[in-house]
Amino acid sequence: MGNVAFAASLALLACVTAGIGISYATAKAVEAVARQPEASSKIQTVMLLGAALAEATAIYGFVIALLMILVK
Amino acid sequence: MEGFGEKITEVMTSKKIDFHLFGYTIPISDAVITMWIIMGALIILSLLFTRKLKTIPKGKQNVVETIIEFINKLTESSVGHHWRIFAPYIGTVLLFLVFANTISIFNIVPSGEQLYNLTHIKMLKKIPDFNLLPPTKNASVAMGFAVMSMVAVMISGIRVNRCKGWLKSFLKPVPVLLPFKILDYFIRPLSLCFRQYGNVLGAVIIMELLYSSLPAFLPGLVSIYFDIFDGILQAYVFVFLTSLYIAEAIE
Repeated sequence: MGNVAFAASLALLACVTAGIGISYATAKAVEAVARQPEASSKIQTVMLLGAALAEATAIYGFVIALLMILVK
Repeated sequence: MEGFGEKITEVMTSKKIDFHLFGYTIPISDAVITMWIIMGALIILSLLFTRKLKTIPKGKQNVVETIIEFINKLTESSVGHHWRIFAPYIGTVLLFLVFANTISIFNIVPSGEQLYNLTHIKMLKKIPDFNLLPPTKNASVAMGFAVMSMVAVMISGIRVNRCKGWLKSFLKPVPVLLPFKILDYFIRPLSLCFRQYGNVLGAVIIMELLYSSLPAFLPGLVSIYFDIFDGILQAYVFVFLTSLYIAEAIE
């Protein structure tokens, strides 16, 4: 179990990149809305889509970690 | 802490329910049965909502027109000129995935034991346990959707550009990229599948752990995000990516 647990924790490092990516996208969206409040609805949809795409890396890490722990 | 690992394994494995038909025993997994329920609900709803359509919309017709207009706009903004061919497919997948990802909010099906205790009818005790969990938490269901949209991408490329143009598109912009263009057809469905599967499975596991450890108030609040918002967002992302791939194929 020890090796597998260590490997799973390494796989979950992918979550860090997703967090950085989503926070970057959100920061830029906030800037854009502050500059142009009338375009906020369009910016919101684009930001949500970008966040969902950036989230995928975390999901890959999560799925791989789950498979490593549970599938024998 | 001991029970959590077992709980996660229990959520991840798909249950088989036996049907006894003409002397044969047919095992059918719960994901398929949930999809039958969704299909039935969608068919009945679409039959009910599209009866007696009028030129001037009134009541329920407004709802249908809003949904159809949203789907048409989504397809037109990403696919472009040929949107009329693809809007039905995109809309069907979007509606099905929205229903499939959010169906766990209706997960109040009583087990056979509980029904027996309530009514004392012996017949009801035989009903197998059935949980209304999203079918996309099963990796094979998500993979089926991903392969389906990849086939749609190939067919749209062949239909719009003809066979020759489609084969030629592998060599654009430079022939060196040919292996990567072929790899695209295997990596894209994998990424579509894992995005859907991982998101839904993660939400289901978190909700299941919350239900077992803290069964008051909090699950209801958190379920708004994990069941409804995340499910609809993932369905939208899946459909949006499919339409982007189609737009790239028919260029």
